[in-house]
Amino acid sequence: MVMKLREIVKELNLEVKTGDDRLNTEITGGYASDLLSDVMANAQKGNIWITLQIHQNIVAVATLKEIAGIILVNGRCPEEDTLQKAIQEKIPILVSKLSTFELVGSLYQLGINNA
Amino acid sequence: MKKTTPLIKEKISIIQELTYDLKVGEVMKKEIITVSSDNLIYDLRNILREKRISGTPVVNKQGELIGIVSIEDFIKCLASGDINATVFSKMTKNVEILYEDELLVSAINKFDRFGYGRFPVIERGTKKLVGIITKGDIIHGLLQRLENELQEEEIKRFRASHIFEDIIADETTLKFQYKVVGGDFSQAGKVASGLKKNLTRLGIPPAIIRRVSIATYEAEMNIVIYTQGGEITAFVQAHQIEVRAKDTGPGIPDIKKAMQPGFSTAPEWVRELGFGAGMGLNNIQQCSDKMILRSKVGKGTQIKMLIFY
Amino acid sequence: MKLHEIKEILEAEIICDDTNLEIEIKMGCGADLMSDVLAFIKSESLLLTGLINPQVIRTAEMADIKAICFVRGKMPLSETIKLAKEKRIPLFSTKLPMYESCGRLYQKGLSGCSEYKDK
Repeated sequence: MVMKLREIVKELNLEVKTGDDRLNTEITGGYASDLLSDVMANAQKGNIWITLQIHQNIVAVATLKEIAGIILVNGRCPEEDTLQKAIQEKIPILVSKLSTFELVGSLYQLGINNA
Repeated sequence: MKKTTPLIKEKISIIQELTYDLKVGEVMKKEIITVSSDNLIYDLRNILREKRISGTPVVNKQGELIGIVSIEDFIKCLASGDINATVFSKMTKNVEILYEDELLVSAINKFDRFGYGRFPVIERGTKKLVGIITKGDIIHGLLQRLENELQEEEIKRFRASHIFEDIIADETTLKFQYKVVGGDFSQAGKVASGLKKNLTRLGIPPAIIRRVSIATYEAEMNIVIYTQGGEITAFVQAHQIEVRAKDTGPGIPDIKKAMQPGFSTAPEWVRELGFGAGMGLNNIQQCSDKMILRSKVGKGTQIKMLIFY
Repeated sequence: MKLHEIKEILEAEIICDDTNLEIEIKMGCGADLMSDVLAFIKSESLLLTGLINPQVIRTAEMADIKAICFVRGKMPLSETIKLAKEKRIPLFSTKLPMYESCGRLYQKGLSGCSEYKDK
C-alpha cells in the first residue's frame, strides 16, 4: 500500500519538526535502526527511518540514502544543529512519543511493510 | 548391579518426594484434541494424521468424557470396511482415567499397572475432560520442578538477608569496593554485575536492585568510555544504598548541558557500540532518589547516587 | 506471549540450545542504544537489537530482560554467547530486519513497554 508522509503524521499523531512542505512524499517502506552504519548499508530509497539518534549525522545519512523522512521515537528532541541541517537538506523530521516497537507496530498495521 | 552413590540416592528421594507433592493437573497437557461421539470413523483419518497422535478422547456435548478411540480402532475399521461407522460404536467405553487432583505417585502406579501410553484427565466434581497426560509429561513436570527447587535452594544458601538484623549496632554499613579499568569495553559491566549479585544475596527487593544496577552500570560505562579508569564503591545499609563513582578523567566542562537528554561528546565508534547517545547521566538520575555530580576539568568526576528502600 | 510463539513469528533460530521456550514474555522493545533500553524497558520484556557485543547481555542482566533476539541475521560474538549462558539469558537470531520484527510481533499482540499495563 502506498502512503504519504502526511497521512502517517495524521494517523500516528506525529509532531512535525522540519519539512512540513515535503509531506506529500510517498513512503516505500520502513527502516528501524539506531546504528548509522546499518542504515547506510541497508535502508532503501524512500523509506521512513525510525530511530532514537538525534545527532546531526542522521541528516547526512538520510540525505545520502534519499530517506523520505526521519521519525524520532520516545519523544526525543533533536539537537539544534540537527534541525538546522534538516531544514537545509529538506529532510522531514517527525517526533513520536511512542517507543520504536510501538511506533513500528502501528506503521505496520497501517499497511507499511516491506513485503 | 551398580552401586548408587549417596548423592544420587538423595536426588532419587527428592524426586519421590516430588511425586507426592505434584498433582496430575500441574503436569498434564491442557490443549487436547477431542472428537465427538457422532463423528464417523472416517473423520479420524485427518485428525490422527495431522496432529500425529495415536488416539483421542471422545466427549459429549457437555464436554464429559465418554470414551477413547485409537489408531488401532481406525485400522480395524479400515480392514473390515467399517469406515462409515460412528465413533460411538467403535470406541472403547470403559476408559481408565486420572483425576486432576490426583497425586503424581498414583498416576505413575496406574501407568505401570495398565501399560497405556496416555490417560485422559477428568475434573473430579464435574466429570469434565480437562487434559491428557503421558509419561513424558510426568518426566517433564518433575524435571522442571526439580530445577526450580534447586535454584531456590541456591539462593537460600547464599542469602545473607538476616545480616542487618543479626549484627548489633545502631547502624551497619557493608562496603563493596571495585576498580574500573578505563578503555576496556569488553570488561565493562563487571562491577555492576558483581554488585547486583551481592545485593541479591542480601535479599534487597528486586525493584531496588534493578535501579542500583542500572545506575551503577551507566556510571561504570562512563568511566570506561571517557577516562583512564576509576573506582566504584557501594555502601549498603538496612534502608539505603549509596554508590560512589570516581574517576581521574578529563572532567565535565558544563554539567547542566551534560545532563540534557541526548547531549553527548562520545565519538562515533562508541555510538556504534550502542552507547554514548547522551542518556547515561539521565538514567543515573532517573534511577536514584538523590544524585550529586561534581566535576573539575582536567581533574576528574565524582558521582554520588543514593537509593532508599 | 510464549518464547516459542515469538520464535515462530520471527522465524528465529535458537542460539543457546538449552533454552526454555515456555518462558512468558510480556512486552517487546527494539533498540540499538543500550542507555535507552536501560531507561525505557521494563522487566519481563524481549529485547530486539542489531548489536551483538557483550554489553547487550550486561544490559539485559541489569534491567532483568527475559530474552534477546538479534535482528538482520546477526550472530553474536562468542564472548556474548558465553556471558548469556552464564546469566541464563535466552538468545535468538532472526533474518528479519528490526522493522519487520517489531511489526510482526506487535501485530500478533505483543505490547510495547509504554503501553503495557500491569494487572
